Amino acid sequence: MILQNIELNNFMCYAGNNKFEFTEGINIIIGDNGYGKSKLYDAFYWVMYDRCFDTRKKDFLPTNTLKKHLISDKALNETSDGFVTASVILTFHNIEKNSVYIIERRYKVRKDGTEIYEDRESEEIIKIKDLAYLNAREITDPVQITSIKKAILPDNIKPYMWFQGEQIEQIIDFNKDNTLTQAINVLSNISKYDNLIALASSLKDSASKEYQKKQRDLSGDKAKSESLELQRSKLEENIKALQLQDLQIKDNLATAEEKSENLLNKIADATKIRELEERKKAIQRNLQDAQEEFQEEQLSLHKRMFTNKWILKGTEVLFAKYSDVYNQFEQKKLIRKAEMQVRKDAEMELNKAMFQLPIDVPEPIHLENMLEMQHCLVCDRTAPKDSKEWLSMKSLLDRSREKITAIEDEDQTMHDFSFDLKKLYHTGLALSHQIPNIDDDIKSVFRKLRRLDKRRKTLSEDYQAVDAEINTLIVNSSLNLSQATNILNEYAAQNDLTKRSQREVDANAHIITKKALELSGIEAQLSNLVTGEIPAYLTDKLKVLTEFKNVTESTRKRVFHGLVTMLEQEANKHYGEMMQGNLGTRGLIKFKQLSNEKNYMPELVDENGNVLLQLNMGNIILIKLATIMAIISARQGSIATDLYTLITDAPTSVFGEDYTIGFCKTVSKVYRQSIIMSKEFYKNTALRSQLLLDSDVRLGKVYMITPSIPETERSNRNSLSTLITPLN
Amino acid sequence: MTREEILQSFLADELFSESNYLARSEASKFRWATNSPIKLIEVLKVAIDGEISGESQAITERKINTYLNSQQ
Repeated sequence: MILQNIELNNFMCYAGNNKFEFTEGINIIIGDNGYGKSKLYDAFYWVMYDRCFDTRKKDFLPTNTLKKHLISDKALNETSDGFVTASVILTFHNIEKNSVYIIERRYKVRKDGTEIYEDRESEEIIKIKDLAYLNAREITDPVQITSIKKAILPDNIKPYMWFQGEQIEQIIDFNKDNTLTQAINVLSNISKYDNLIALASSLKDSASKEYQKKQRDLSGDKAKSESLELQRSKLEENIKALQLQDLQIKDNLATAEEKSENLLNKIADATKIRELEERKKAIQRNLQDAQEEFQEEQLSLHKRMFTNKWILKGTEVLFAKYSDVYNQFEQKKLIRKAEMQVRKDAEMELNKAMFQLPIDVPEPIHLENMLEMQHCLVCDRTAPKDSKEWLSMKSLLDRSREKITAIEDEDQTMHDFSFDLKKLYHTGLALSHQIPNIDDDIKSVFRKLRRLDKRRKTLSEDYQAVDAEINTLIVNSSLNLSQATNILNEYAAQNDLTKRSQREVDANAHIITKKALELSGIEAQLSNLVTGEIPAYLTDKLKVLTEFKNVTESTRKRVFHGLVTMLEQEANKHYGEMMQGNLGTRGLIKFKQLSNEKNYMPELVDENGNVLLQLNMGNIILIKLATIMAIISARQGSIATDLYTLITDAPTSVFGEDYTIGFCKTVSKVYRQSIIMSKEFYKNTALRSQLLLDSDVRLGKVYMITPSIPETERSNRNSLSTLITPLN
Repeated sequence: MTREEILQSFLADELFSESNYLARSEASKFRWATNSPIKLIEVLKVAIDGEISGESQAITERKINTYLNSQQ
């Protein structure tokens, strides 16, 4: 069955009439988030199952819940009065029968001004058209409708053929014991073996009862027989209870094993997160030190102008000039000193001369005598103290003293900076020797600054790299830091539980064996009490039916195991193809059977069977997708006529762009027709070109969908429609 | 799976060779239409037939009991 096209009329964001044509191969609808990919998936699902996926509730909701939300807001807005109908039509081509199935679903509301009257249910119209004839014939018989829908997509296949990306987790949930059984049922109806086991058990039980009744009838000691039968009955109940207990312990053991396995994967991540976190802290400390040192160096640059005397750079000329000026000053100073001395000497000489000349001027000693006597001996007249004559004599005595003092005072009142200037000269002289080293010092300091800056940047890059690595690990492993810290304890606890459960299983098995021996003893005693002969046919019947029961159980186990192996091989084929060209963890998928012999855990192992740890979410989703493909491809291998279309929305969003082309190649090999909604090809134009040109991808139709108004510019959806652009 | 395929899967069980009912080489050649003196094989055929044709378990049980009781 090939899906030829889908027509959407006023369905959700697809206002007006819209049509996608499809061919065999992988058909791809490209669009960013919120562009209408999921609504297209909803359209497919709604036609077939009268339900749409609700991302908030993660469940499919029926029409009678969704009601007017199925209809385009634009269509509703543009109609003021009358009916507004949303419809989706799927056209399938049945190649074997050369006929076409047209499946349409409609839902309408009546609008009366602002009032909206919603229909409760949708309407389904199914038509069949023989290609040899022009007209299509409507099918009304519910049995025929069911049969057509089953031909399009059988219920047991549906979960593996039509799914949302976010459903992948649930479709293949290895924690549920029936996940693989359901998958195996799609491959080969294993439930038939389960039914045969039930039949064989029932037959064996009734044959046992028949045999025991005969034993009782032929017993030579009926009372003892009754007593032994009572004991046997109790023992049988006891053994059944122990077997039930055994199953429960094994379930607990399987759960603990699963948890340990999961934790084992996480332990590697948790340890790495912890190591990286420690490394991050160390880098942070170093970065802080480097940062502080760098800032300190930068801040101390202006201080170095003085501390390292950088300010003197280029002042050699100034010092030379100052040196010249200082020399001149020193010379002038010496000259002046000499001049002063000459003047002083001259005054002294003059003084001496004055004491001798003129003749009428007496020696100072006489002057002092005359002043004391108050009598001038030169003119022989009295000169009372403080009289004009007395003062005249005294002035003769004071004159030479004042003159010398004036010369000395002149010398002293001159500003003498010679000491400071000399000090300045010497300081300058000392500093001038350091000037040639300043350049080297500056270079050295700037080298240090550059080194510190480089170190700071390197540490900062290291810090960011480690931080990014931690974040990636946290995202991939779904662990936060505190969880990572607690995991080790949890792992130890689960390991303890595993060991304890294993001990309980062993102890229980020992008790069951002991009880089974007791039961055999009682059986033997009962046989010994038989007088006469139990009919051979009855003994034979019990033997045959016991063998029948044993053979159904062991065959079921063997067939199931064989199918799991086949599934494993197919899954590995697809996993390998999807991983091609990627450097991520490769390995081989191994479905490991847990202790309860019901649950399976996927593992990645290397060529030698060693388990590869660190399965991240991307790996797990790839394993699950590979398993889904394996279910379909293994089935196609056995039933060649099966042909169903894979329809999936955003299956690659979890594992990212690196695997998208590999996924498309594999899908185009496994499925004759597929319709994939993807956003990976929207922004990455190189990836889109690769898709359109890669000859290994068996490409069908490729469309780009874009909303008429981008989500960010929308205040409401009243004018929203979707543009469909074919890309090939 | 066809009834022939299901029967083959049972005949591959070790019980048949261990009980000397059928050698491994014989088991793979065994055909549905072959009437076997081995009661277990005939019981299996009735059971598989009942399962494939969708008859109730009670009816199949009765058929098997009738077959085994008739062997006295």
